[in-house]
Amino acid sequence: MSPRTGATEGAVSPLALVETVRQIRRLVAVSPEAARLGLFPGQKATDGRALVPELELADAEPDADAAALTALVDWCVRFSPAVAADPPDGLFLDIEGADHLWGGEAAMLADFRARLAANGLVFRLAVADTPGAAWALARFGPDGVIAPPGGQAALLAPLPPAALRLDPEAAAQIERLGLRRLGQVMDIPRAPFGRRFGAAALTRLDQALGRAPEALRFRRPPTPWAARLALVEPISAPDDMARVAGDVTAKLCARLEAEDHGARRFEIAFHRVDGKSPTLAVGLSRAGRDAGRIARLFQPKLETVDPGFGVEAVSIWAYEVEALGARQSRLDAGVEARDSLAPLVDRLANRLGPERVWRAAPVESHVPERSVSRRPPLADEMVEAFPWDPEAPRPVRLFRRPEPLEDVTALLPDDPPIQFRWRGRLHRVRRAEGPERIGAEWWTQDIEDVSTGHVRDYYRVEDAGGARFWLFRAGLYGEAPPKWWLHGLFG
Amino acid sequence: MSDFRRRRLAALAAKIAVLEADGRADAGVLPFGAPSLDGRLAGGGLPLGRWHEITGEGLEAETGAAPAAFAALTATPLARRGEAVWVMRRDDLWTPGLMGLGFPPQRLIQVCARDEAEALAVMEDALATAGVSAVIGEVEAVDLTAGRRLQLACEKHGATGFVIKRRPFGGTGKLEPAGSTAATRWRVASAPSEPPAGEFGLGAPRLSVTLERSRGGRPGAWILEAASAYSWETGDAAHPLRLVAELGDRELAPAQDRRAA
Repeated sequence: MSPRTGATEGAVSPLALVETVRQIRRLVAVSPEAARLGLFPGQKATDGRALVPELELADAEPDADAAALTALVDWCVRFSPAVAADPPDGLFLDIEGADHLWGGEAAMLADFRARLAANGLVFRLAVADTPGAAWALARFGPDGVIAPPGGQAALLAPLPPAALRLDPEAAAQIERLGLRRLGQVMDIPRAPFGRRFGAAALTRLDQALGRAPEALRFRRPPTPWAARLALVEPISAPDDMARVAGDVTAKLCARLEAEDHGARRFEIAFHRVDGKSPTLAVGLSRAGRDAGRIARLFQPKLETVDPGFGVEAVSIWAYEVEALGARQSRLDAGVEARDSLAPLVDRLANRLGPERVWRAAPVESHVPERSVSRRPPLADEMVEAFPWDPEAPRPVRLFRRPEPLEDVTALLPDDPPIQFRWRGRLHRVRRAEGPERIGAEWWTQDIEDVSTGHVRDYYRVEDAGGARFWLFRAGLYGEAPPKWWLHGLFG
Repeated sequence: MSDFRRRRLAALAAKIAVLEADGRADAGVLPFGAPSLDGRLAGGGLPLGRWHEITGEGLEAETGAAPAAFAALTATPLARRGEAVWVMRRDDLWTPGLMGLGFPPQRLIQVCARDEAEALAVMEDALATAGVSAVIGEVEAVDLTAGRRLQLACEKHGATGFVIKRRPFGGTGKLEPAGSTAATRWRVASAPSEPPAGEFGLGAPRLSVTLERSRGGRPGAWILEAASAYSWETGDAAHPLRLVAELGDRELAPAQDRRAA
């Protein structure tokens, strides 16, 4: 199956996509018209032009192809929750336990085919027991074939070795030795085959025949915590969207409640009639299942969802689900502080983004700008003691980039300046403290990079007006005129 | 008068008292511990459950270091009772510095808002949350509507708000709105420190604080000192700021720009 939309109209000129590999422009994909004229992927673009002068060339866009494949994978979730992309141009759909909803594999495949065709895609489909067999049949077998349970061996037998998902050289080598059909490969003894062509070929063969397991990387880990609402008629009004979001959240939360669980992340998808399904996600700082609260977190984001021609179904998934006992609300009026903070933190984190709401945490580092890290405000482990020494005065405001000082006059080496100019204003130093030498963290870098140029001598100075500054001289006092910087301001 | 009537009248009187108190429950006051200062404030201390405006002078209106120190010091007793939230637009607040002043950094949630309106909305949201005792916000200006909204949020659970007026770098700053619903307005600048006799370096940080506006009180100007800053001692005093000197009455001797000297 290919997510690329090919030119399908009759009288169009042949088209090919080209990619430059090692300064050679080669065709990577050709339209049916071009293929009919004898062009093939891998051909040099100049050769193709020579054969078919009216050939139209366009640059391949692998990123756009990947994005289109991702979108298609997202869309396929309407058929089964377990979808795995198979780049560059395929996808696997685990339909076990889902096909009966369509009345069998054949009916499901027909529906799938009709919907894909309606979206103008060029594709090939196959159903088999194993991903390997389905891959081979979709690419090399008859289109739309359904392998009966356990019957993939017979269908695979006439296919070429390339159907084993091997790299092209290995497949070509197998063919060169006269094994042109997979049937022949299956018949020869395993041990010599493995010795000759490597364990990878053997594994692929076993995976195709269902003798070895294969793990697929599914689009999103299928979570059992999901709910879905199918709507009688497509909706698009903002009020309706908010209502169905609330309803589907309530449905999932009722289940979480009944089974004593809570979740930290919720994702909601609006399945539109045109096949796209925009999603929204909200995170909670503590596991929860309060439908009203979660729906309110979705509320401000709903306006970013474009309903298009209408939304026909809504799904919600809960992630990071954990057991959560029923919490009794306290009988007295006092509310436990952390319980009331959680909704606030969630509102802020979801509105502004989680990186904009934080609590400071200490980091073991002498370098001032590295000694503070940011932690989610309601992280489980609370820092009770901070290792910062209160007796080493630190400024209230720290500039992200130290600001250069001009006209700095220091009478003696290692003496604080007696005056400096910052932002165009001259400050005369009345009192000063220092230096406090802060060296570079030489143990974190290569030995060649360590130099005394990274040493900073910090001074706390007070100007005549009482303003207090934290400034430093970079490097040791030496040959070059020293460079002074302002790093922070005290209150 | 029947018992019923008397009770009815008492209830009405209580209602009127609530209306006169501007609909807010009395959240108490935070005294500075200096009669000359507390006497200028309605109720004998910084009114809690209200919001207060803090401005800086000159370059401080941009960098906001002295106002931040004053806000942190004033909010320290409140942060020991509940959570504090600091809403900024530029994240140059440095927690080790706050800790040096005695502010408990583990009680502080920091929020960086993207614009003015968002900063005010976050402040309002935080003030209305139970368990939050102090909210400090750095914004350019608070108009009457925003101020009223902040006030309503303060009244919900008695949280106290501090608005640090801070101009973006290079900006000219908005015009001061005519009225304000703030309970007090302070102008704060750093003041020269006085180390103890015979010691080198800087003394405990001092702030020159002008009370420009005080609802139900009178303005005044003082020099305050954070006596227990930058030491392991947390200080036994009820308030981390200690009165050092009272400056002349503002009306008689207008505060001169000491920085220009």
